Amino acid sequence: MRTPAPAGNLAATGVVPGFPTAGRIVARGSTVLALFGALVIWLALLGPFAALIQHLSFHSIRAALGPPGALDPLWVSLGASAIALGAMVLFGTPLAYLLARGRLPLARIVELGIMLPLMMPPLVIGLLLIFLIGPEGTLGNLLADIHLTGVNTFFALIVAEFYEAAPFYVLGAHAAFASVDPRIEQDAALLGDRSLQAFRRITLPLAAPGLATGLATAWARAMGAFGAVIIVAYYPRGLPNQIFIAFQEFGLSGALPFALLLVVAALPLPALAYLWSARNRSRVAGAEAP
Amino acid sequence: MERRQLTVQVGFGLEAGERLAIFGTSGAGKTTILESIAGLTRLSRGIVRIDGKLVAGRSKGETALEPRDRQVALVRQPTTLFPHLTVEQNVTYGIRRSPARGRVTELLERLGLSVLARARGAALSGGQRQRVALGRALASSFRVLLLDEPLSAVDVAAREALRLLTIEISVERGATGILVTHDLTEAQAFSDRLGIIDNGRLLQMGGALEVVLSPVTRRVAELVGYGGFVPAPGAANRWYAIHPDRVLLGSAGERGVVLTGSILSTRPFGSRYECTVAERSGGQFTIHLDEPPAAGVVCALTVLDPPVVHA
Repeated sequence: MRTPAPAGNLAATGVVPGFPTAGRIVARGSTVLALFGALVIWLALLGPFAALIQHLSFHSIRAALGPPGALDPLWVSLGASAIALGAMVLFGTPLAYLLARGRLPLARIVELGIMLPLMMPPLVIGLLLIFLIGPEGTLGNLLADIHLTGVNTFFALIVAEFYEAAPFYVLGAHAAFASVDPRIEQDAALLGDRSLQAFRRITLPLAAPGLATGLATAWARAMGAFGAVIIVAYYPRGLPNQIFIAFQEFGLSGALPFALLLVVAALPLPALAYLWSARNRSRVAGAEAP
Repeated sequence: MERRQLTVQVGFGLEAGERLAIFGTSGAGKTTILESIAGLTRLSRGIVRIDGKLVAGRSKGETALEPRDRQVALVRQPTTLFPHLTVEQNVTYGIRRSPARGRVTELLERLGLSVLARARGAALSGGQRQRVALGRALASSFRVLLLDEPLSAVDVAAREALRLLTIEISVERGATGILVTHDLTEAQAFSDRLGIIDNGRLLQMGGALEVVLSPVTRRVAELVGYGGFVPAPGAANRWYAIHPDRVLLGSAGERGVVLTGSILSTRPFGSRYECTVAERSGGQFTIHLDEPPAAGVVCALTVLDPPVVHA
């Protein structure tokens, strides 16, 4: 694509239109290459979604999701994920904030502890959770006293989802809080805010885009949690388990409708959160430049 | 911003309503002093009190005031605005009771921010950001006003009005003010007391003109603009300090010390001339003259009441 430069610019740029320089050819070539690469990657990422839509017929969806009780796994997954997410926000937000402000002793060790579930295979997490909250474990015994059994219960499902998803929220929130200049919080305090007020009026709005991204990622992970879940919470059956079981029993055609259901249930929130936070980031961006 | 390690060790007291300007080169510890007075940095030793109440440091049986109860307003350099709030929201942030509409409008007007009331931080220039930061401090209920180069990015034409506004409001409140700056004229314009800080130490404190006319040490003299030092007779390590603006052409022994120097070079300096002079004892310095002799001329120079400084 060649746009003729306005005549007045010619002297300044020293480039004569119509005579491609070596630099210009290389620049144009690399732009084309980059655009092509971006398109390929984008299509490759979207490919599986296209395949999902292509292999689904209305008939097969109705057959799988029509019978009474067929949507139960969806409600189970939504409920457990929502509670797991609530617990993450409740416990993870203060933790992330204190980490970001360097107010925790042994911060590196604490961070490592948060990273650990990310580095471990989910199946192994599931096995270890049996020791922790299963009937043989100490904690499991205590739980049994308050009638919370840690294996194959709704509670176990929440715990397994929490383990797989919480690190994403805490790390995201950590980064979000770290991006807020602590000096502005001090300013708010000097101007009369209590620490909670300063948090609500200053820190939270500024960290919100990052928090939203972290929350959205955690939501997607919780909804899709499978490895640890299938070990400790085969029942009650959430969507990922349902997909696996349907696949075992009926093959691809039986599993795909549930896969669609999971994608539809898990994806909109993260997508919206991403779009919202991208918009907000750009609104505040550059404001801190001296 | 990367800062080298510097121990800042200063002590002074101010009466309520007093204004002090602290002058020093960048990196001398000025910002640290302000943050310490505001109680925002941990002190390794010593204490800060405002109206007798503990703000920073440790004292037996006392707990430091919460930031919100300190009634300290701080304008930082570089400015720290609330980037998600508008200019007006920033300025009114520290006002607890719902402010009289007219007062906010008037303040924004005097800060030159009326047309920007709805703009956010990202849209502002450096000078505009400083006006907002200053306005936010002035609108809050402060007893102590701490200013860190608050007008450095404001165009010179608007500085005077903003400085007067700052002084007016702090006098109205009976507030104590401390300004730190590396601009000597700015320091003198803000306050009638001047402290000179260098390398984390308060070297001299006194009247805004007194410190400049009677520096005690050679370092203070250098900082406040003295460029030449010639040995004073009768004592080792004692010098006459020569300020470029306090030299007359010719011999007038009753007004100061007369030296003989040769003019090395001359160039325009504002409405006057700046000349580099070589003194007989070997020292070189610059002076400002209205009508300089030609280069190469040897002439008598009267240094008006030069202070005698020691090392």
